[in-house]
Amino acid sequence: MQEATFLILTSLAEGSQHGYGIINDVTEISAGRVRLRAGTLYTALDRLRVDGLVEVDREEVVEGRLRRYYQLTPDGTKLLAAEAARLHANATAAMRRLSPLGVVT
Amino acid sequence: MNSSASLEHGYRRLLAFYPRSFRRENEEEILAVLMATAEDGQQRPGLAISADLIRSGVAMRLRPTVPRSAHTVRAAVKLVYLAAVAELALLATVVLTAASARAEVLKIAPAQVSALTVHIVADEVFLPISILLMLWLAWSIGRRQDWARLVLTAYFGLTTLSLLYTLAQGAATVVPADLIAGGVFWFFQFAAVVLIFTPQSARYYQPQPTERQAA
Repeated sequence: MQEATFLILTSLAEGSQHGYGIINDVTEISAGRVRLRAGTLYTALDRLRVDGLVEVDREEVVEGRLRRYYQLTPDGTKLLAAEAARLHANATAAMRRLSPLGVVT
Repeated sequence: MNSSASLEHGYRRLLAFYPRSFRRENEEEILAVLMATAEDGQQRPGLAISADLIRSGVAMRLRPTVPRSAHTVRAAVKLVYLAAVAELALLATVVLTAASARAEVLKIAPAQVSALTVHIVADEVFLPISILLMLWLAWSIGRRQDWARLVLTAYFGLTTLSLLYTLAQGAATVVPADLIAGGVFWFFQFAAVVLIFTPQSARYYQPQPTERQAA
């Protein structure tokens, strides 16, 4: 899974969000390292909707413009959990082997 | 035109790189996000944002519309692209070795030179057309076009007949590289045809009246 996809799913794990909210949230989750661009975000969201991992929760009109809120589907939640567990296991293994070397802060 | 209107106009032009069906559903929403992330007084889309919109729009036009879980369809699409690659390799071989092959044949069997020339010219004309057809079919099959399955099957029938004809002519007139490339091409098509007619693939070629519109 690409990092952008992982972060989008992570952002939605807390509840439904609109596009602009996801962009800000992803910046926050990644401590400013990943700044999603609108093109990338909506291409990823379209893919995630086709794959049945994300769905539209509700729509609002704000200042004359449509605003859609997206949420995880049960499949999306399951996939994110599996991916998070995989990354966590890898990171734990790396940390364990690095700690005797004294490079882990 | 004030700066915000000119910026919006610029973004709309970039969004034209996306497929129309996607734009119909999402243009206003993306535009809202783009406008919200713009700088105050900005008049034109920035370079990085523009590149991202163009890249994403083109990628969306090219990629399959079947979900990742449609393994059989996705494998078939890859095989048809591979068939195009095999043909491209054959075309490159034919073009690069044409002169040396002619010289060789002129030495051994001068009477065969015109037959060889016909063969080479036929390849140089036919292969580019076939490559384009394969690329188009691969793209269409990934985008749930039922007719593309039928056209691929018909083309596979022709490939089979032409391969049998080549084999029937005997080894004397057949260039081994030609036969190998023909066999590889045939196999990719064969596997793709089998995959797109499995029951797992069939559901992606049913009419889908409300799926996207309902979202």
